[in-house]
This record gives sequence, structure tokens and C-alpha cells, in this order.
Amino acid sequence: MTRKAYSRDQRLRQASALDKGTFMTDNDGLALATRGLRKSYGSHVALAGLDLSVPRGKIYGFLGPNGAGKTTTMRLLTGLIHPDAGSIELLGRPFGRRDRHRLYDVGALIESPSFYPFLSGRQNLREVATNGAAVTRGRVEELLELTGLIDRARDKVSTYSLGMKQRLGIAAALLSDPTLLLLDEPANGLDPAGIVAMRETLRHLAAIGKTVLVSSHLLAEVQQMADVVGIIAAGRLVREGPMQELLNAEGIVRVRVGLDEVAGAAVALAPLAGAAAVTSSAAEPGWLSVRLAPDRTGEVNRILAGAGIWATGLETGNDLEMLFLELTGGAPVAGGEGTFFGMAGSRAAE
Amino acid sequence: MSLFFSGLRKLARRQATWVTLGLLAGLLSLIVIAVGATSNRPGASAMERSAILSLVTFPGAYDQILGFILGLGGLFAVIYGAAIAGSEWTWGTLKNAVARGQSRSRYTLLTFASVATAIAIGLVITFVIGVIAALIGAALAGVSTSGLTDTATLGRLPGQFARGWLAIAEEGALGFAIATLARSQLAGIGAGIALYFGESFAGIFLPDIVKYLPFNVANASLATQSADGGFGGGAQLASFDPNVALGLVVVWLVGALLVAAVFTERAEITG
Repeated sequence: MTRKAYSRDQRLRQASALDKGTFMTDNDGLALATRGLRKSYGSHVALAGLDLSVPRGKIYGFLGPNGAGKTTTMRLLTGLIHPDAGSIELLGRPFGRRDRHRLYDVGALIESPSFYPFLSGRQNLREVATNGAAVTRGRVEELLELTGLIDRARDKVSTYSLGMKQRLGIAAALLSDPTLLLLDEPANGLDPAGIVAMRETLRHLAAIGKTVLVSSHLLAEVQQMADVVGIIAAGRLVREGPMQELLNAEGIVRVRVGLDEVAGAAVALAPLAGAAAVTSSAAEPGWLSVRLAPDRTGEVNRILAGAGIWATGLETGNDLEMLFLELTGGAPVAGGEGTFFGMAGSRAAE
Repeated sequence: MSLFFSGLRKLARRQATWVTLGLLAGLLSLIVIAVGATSNRPGASAMERSAILSLVTFPGAYDQILGFILGLGGLFAVIYGAAIAGSEWTWGTLKNAVARGQSRSRYTLLTFASVATAIAIGLVITFVIGVIAALIGAALAGVSTSGLTDTATLGRLPGQFARGWLAIAEEGALGFAIATLARSQLAGIGAGIALYFGESFAGIFLPDIVKYLPFNVANASLATQSADGGFGGGAQLASFDPNVALGLVVVWLVGALLVAAVFTERAEITG
């Protein structure tokens, strides 16, 4: 079906459905929404009622530990697998088994990029373009240029590095100039320059009204790039919202005092955010952490000074990594893929 | 149609296509020329010599060559069909198509349509190479080639080609369906080869059942195929009317494609 034909089909279906009042319109400002999405593989529950709300024209950082259900969600959103329960709305309209045409407006890179190894990068893009929505003339060359692959476009994909395959995968996702872009770990294998270029490209796409959902393990990268973040653990959404709001609400202030003053400082700071919000670590003697919005750092200093304790160091730590570990517990999901504990942090030590 | 031509372009650029064609044409040429070159060896009886020379004596050589292509080509077709379908799962390229909104069954069927077209082209090329090899073999054996232009045989050739193509396409479809069910290139090829030889082997014990099985009906479908003229696949069991066998070929072909399409349509693509 051509793009033109699809647009007519879209309008007809939308008009018909609006008459029946069966689905959401674009007015809610969501490019993607899932409600109560459930998916199991045998006895393993991958998603246990996922509710995502991805606003239009934003970059949405989709985070979660290994086995939390990110890739399962991506597969569901692209029709590769089907949910056991729940619903998906893509670009304001329901997406089910018989709605594959919705994907004409979606570009996706799911898991590792998949190409014919015996074809060149250019030939692969041309063959990918024969599926789904129409691709404009010259688009393949434009994307090879954008992803920095133009000089290697004639080479077989089997000779490409992981980073080059990843860039080709991003190019394939952008082929039909999609309204919604779903990228699963797009920074995998990219060099620092490639990551910066990808970030700029995605920012540009969001600036011109496209919606980008990015799942990534590179939390610092997501923090720099995403406008909105959703964190899942054990197949459920545990936090979702604008990045800055979340970071401010979940901020950390770290303060350093004399070793003999740690206990006194903890007592003094307890009223500020609650006793449970003040912690010290044996690994960093003299340091206290207070869960507090960074803009209240001054209050910490004032309270300590009032108690006759002089801070010798003060830091605001509102990074996404802290928030992520706090919400997901930094532990693997039961029945999930597990995680790497590190030599100093084995389970036995917990 | 763009999906069909895309499939053809991919097959033309794929090494497996040329290796399969090269192996089949190479083996055919080698055997036919070797037959011509060694036909005058001392000690061979007149009957043996006559049987050997039938491969390079026209017009009968046309049927012999087609029979050879159908016999050995059937095994190659199973492997080729399995390689094409299995790689879509192994490489994850089916995932790309589905995630772009492509219909799964349409993608599967058009991919097979391009395989069947490649088989038709390969059949013609191999046949032409086989005829050239038979001419060389005839020259080496000192056999006349006057039957080369036998109008009655040449008139039957298009029909024979169509039957041969359907039969090989059916065998290719079988490999295609097996690899789709296995979701793997290697598993599909392995299972396809096992089925090919398994059918031959089972024919020893269960001839009345095996004669309905896909490789046997494929061999039996060629109208002039002699009952003992196959190269594997159970042609020795062929006791069908060629038209009945052709009907069964179509049943197996459609069945295999139906299985592949329905399975792909319902499968969870997780690789």
C-alpha cells in the first residue's frame, strides 16, 4: 500500500472510529501509550501490567535492569510478539494483531541490527525499503551520509564493525521518516563521536516534532538526551515523568564532616528529610548522604552550621544512576537475566 | 511486486545461489562427459554400452538430463529452500520486515515466489549446460547427434520443463517450510536432507506409503521419467500416472507453503 493510499485509509478508519468513540485521539498529546500490558513466556512473567505514556515530540528514556521487560515491550510495540492482555495505542490509535499498517509511521531498531551479510550497506537499506511505508527517492543516500557510512556503503555488511552495523540499523529505522522512533540500545558499539552525533540527531528529530523512545543502559547518555524518563522493574513501571522533575524530587545531597561528627550531623539533618533519608557509608568515612532536592543544599549547610558542625565538603548528586539504582534496587529481576555484582558487591556481602 | 523483485535481487547476489547452480551443472557436465569419454572401455557388454550411451544419445538424452536435474536437483532444492527461509530467522531480517508493517504471510509467500523463479532460471541454465555436455560426450563417444533436432521431442520439452519446475519447486518448498518451522537455517537444511534420504530409505520397507511422499511424487511427475531412472528420492517406487503424480506435487507444494505462511503469521518473533 502506498503512503498516499494509507493516508486515505487512515482518515477513513479514524473517522469511523471517532464516530464510535472507540479510541483516543491525538488530543491527549501521547504518541504512544500502553495500558495494563502483560506478557509471559511460559511461567516467566516478562511484563506484569505495564502502563507507559510517551508524549509527542519528546525523547523518552526507557530504562530498566536486565530482564526487566524493555525488549519485550519493544517487540510488542512493533508487532513481533503479541500481548497476553492489555492494550497499545500508537500515535493515538489502537494497535493490535490486524493493525500492522500503524507501523508505517514507526521506525524501529530492536535488539541487534539485522541485515543480509552478503549485501552492502546501501543494498541492505534499499531492500529494507521495499517493506512497509514508501521511501522517498534519495533517502537511502541521505541516511548513509547522515550516519557516516557513505564511504563504506559499497562494502558488504559482513565486513562492518558492530558500531557500523548499529549506525546502519539507525539509518534503517529512519528510512520512512517515521513519526515515532523506537530504538533499543541504539548506542551499542558506537564510539564517543558516534554517540554525540546520534544524540544530536535524536534531539533534532524531537525538535521537529518526532517522538523518540530510547531504551538504554547508558544512564548518563539518557540523562543528557531524554526529556521524559520511564523506569521499569520486574515488568512494571516504577517511575515515569519529566527528567528534571524526577531528578529534583529524587536528588541527593552529600556532605562531608569530621569523622567524630558523623553521628551528630545525622541527628541534626534528620528533621530536614526524615531520619531514613540520611545515610552514611563505611566505604566513605565522614560522608553523609541526604535524599533531598539539590536546590535545598544551602539548608543542609545552614543546619549543620547551626549545630556547630562545619561541613568540609558539599556535593549535589542528582544523577539518573542514583535514581535508577534506588528505584530498581540495583538487584536483578527475579526470573530475569540476572546482573553483574562486581567483586566488592557480591550477593553474599549484602 | 517490489517485494518479489527484492527477493530475486537478494538471491542473485547470494553466494548460495551460484554455488548450488555450479554444483548441479558441474556434476551433470562431469558425469555426462565422463560417460562419453569412457563408453568405449573394453569389457562392456553391448547392453551396458547401450544403457550408458543413452545419456549422450539424442533425443533420449533430453529426458535423461531432465531426469538427472530432477533427481539430484531435488536434494539441492530442499537445501536451497531451507537456506533461504532459515536465514530470514537466523539473521533476523524477517524481524525488519514485520517491524516495518509488512504482512508476514505476504513476505513469506513472495520470498518463496522469488525462490521458485530462481529455480526455474536455474533449471533452464542447467539443462542448457547439460545438453552442451551431452554433445561433447556424444562427440567423445562417437555417437551421432542427429536426434538433437527431433521435433516431436523438442515439442514436448516446454511441458516437461513445466513439470520439472513444479516438481523441483515442490521440493524447494518443503525445505522452505521445514526451515520456517525450525526457525533456523542449519536446522532446516539438516532436517531437509534427513527427510530426503529418510524417504528413500523408508521406501524399502513401506513402498505403498512412501510412493505418496513428496520426493517420490516429484520424480514420478515427469511424464517420460523411467521407473528406475531417478537419482535418489525414491523414483524407483514411481508407479503413478505422471498426471496423478503432478497433482500430488501441487498438493505438497501448496501444503508446504500454507504451513510456512500460517506458522510465520502466528509465530512470536523473539530472535
